[in-house]
Amino acid sequence: MPEFEVFDPTGAIEIEQLHAARFANLNGKKIGLVSNDEWQAHRTLPLVGDLLQSKCKDIEILAPDKFPLGNDLIDTEELVRVAQDLEVDAIIVGNAA
Amino acid sequence: MEIAGIPTVLLARDEFVGIIKNTMSGFGFDADAALVSFPIELFMAESDLSSIHSVFEGFISGLTTWEPSVSAIGVNKASSVKLAGEDFEDVAAQINNWFMINNWGDGLPINPPTRKRVNNILRGTDLDREHVIGKFMPRGGLVTVEAASVALAMAGGRPEYLSLLLAALEAILDPVLKHASWQASSGSQFPVVIVNGPISRQIRLNSGFGLLGSNPQRPAGVSIGRAIRFLQQNVGGAVPGIGTMAIFGPMRTTNVVFAEDDENLPKGWKCFASDRHGFPPTCNAVSVVACSGAMNIMRRGTGKETAEEELEQSLNRVARYLSQATFHYLAGYEKGTPGILMLSSVLVEHFAELGFGQDRLKKELWSRSRIPKKDIDLCGLSQWLEMDANSVVKNSCSVDPWPITAEPDNISLVVAGGGHPTHNFWFQANSPSVVGRKIKTPDRFDELLDDADRDLGCGSDICLI
Repeated sequence: MPEFEVFDPTGAIEIEQLHAARFANLNGKKIGLVSNDEWQAHRTLPLVGDLLQSKCKDIEILAPDKFPLGNDLIDTEELVRVAQDLEVDAIIVGNAA
Repeated sequence: MEIAGIPTVLLARDEFVGIIKNTMSGFGFDADAALVSFPIELFMAESDLSSIHSVFEGFISGLTTWEPSVSAIGVNKASSVKLAGEDFEDVAAQINNWFMINNWGDGLPINPPTRKRVNNILRGTDLDREHVIGKFMPRGGLVTVEAASVALAMAGGRPEYLSLLLAALEAILDPVLKHASWQASSGSQFPVVIVNGPISRQIRLNSGFGLLGSNPQRPAGVSIGRAIRFLQQNVGGAVPGIGTMAIFGPMRTTNVVFAEDDENLPKGWKCFASDRHGFPPTCNAVSVVACSGAMNIMRRGTGKETAEEELEQSLNRVARYLSQATFHYLAGYEKGTPGILMLSSVLVEHFAELGFGQDRLKKELWSRSRIPKKDIDLCGLSQWLEMDANSVVKNSCSVDPWPITAEPDNISLVVAGGGHPTHNFWFQANSPSVVGRKIKTPDRFDELLDDADRDLGCGSDICLI
């Protein structure tokens, strides 16, 4: 019975980064809302912030206008610098649509 | 943000989950992310946001209990696959089915990428098979010489095509072309590869009649373009609807790979690689443009005009096609190109006789394709111009009439197509740059060409137009 061995065409991939560690809970955490300013992010992110604030009373929510805004700016080193300056613990980012 | 150690949750559209996972992989993570997704309706103007309430806990769990699928750093190389069958045809069918099941095929039969077939393709380069050309985004898979050879083998390619394919991949993966954004984009961009130099004729790449389609006498372009597509999909993750949001996805089976008719250029007309990149005129080279549209242009008049009238009117006709208030022109406004205009050698010779050489044609088309500001406003392009991060684009908003590109020289003129003056062809670009690369053929290139003559026939009128 003939048998062929063929290459998997997806080749190789290099894992260079691990995800950031998660928290046991959000108590006392400062959470930033980062917006690409498209696809209704100006409405969805504030709502998510309000819901988080109502669910977790002792968290602090930082609004999108505290951070660089827009697709060209939200994956830059500048955003990281701003988040670190603001001592943000976690980020919610949108909207990918 | 995850790289900086800040846990992050994404708010995304359902259909973007594949894109996001690819993007994470492209950033060097495993193909995974903490996210909360919604149907497209949420993202439309004045949408109902109540669905956010019902899945809201996902934002909390994404920052607390969510776990990624991989917890160690390193290179993960896919294993080979063994498939058996009753006879050769049965195995070949099983391999084709297996590739389709795994989203590795394109719907047409593939040549099984066996070690023997891939090793034969690898004769087409002096580079080591593990040599890395770059990462194909958004998934970020490693484009090695071996991966390119596997794709070329699947696509029905031959060893003598490999050096051209590798040069094209180098160009596509050059950061200035920003392939990560157009690979995944809804705008359906596809790479157009223009080839200059004697290699075109040597490997049977078409520059004449029907050069954008299949041709049994000039088969190289279809195989090379299909191999690029396989790499986009399998290494780069651009599976339609999962890893790329290309809404219509034109030209995606074979992309576009053709030769300029550089043996028949009018006197004083530079070949594209020389004109655009300053390469020597006989240099084997590729130029890559990311394009988003393809349009045949009926150019000629009725034949009852004077030659000057016909030229004048046809320039206006062609310029009308270029004259689009489209967002796609903005990516290459300063340093790229609005598109590629293909003209046959017969036509450019005629134009040259009337005093319209390469530079003058560009200037005429640039001037005649300018768009009145009121039309820019009418189409809403003004808003896009005003919010553009590039100051050259932004400042163009006040120019009336609006030029479709910053400089006439950005318009790409390529002499190609069958020897007939009736039509032009226009590839609309969305291309931040036009990237050129010289092709490095292997030491044994002549041997490969002899093999091609043996396998495909040579020298007779039937295989040389």
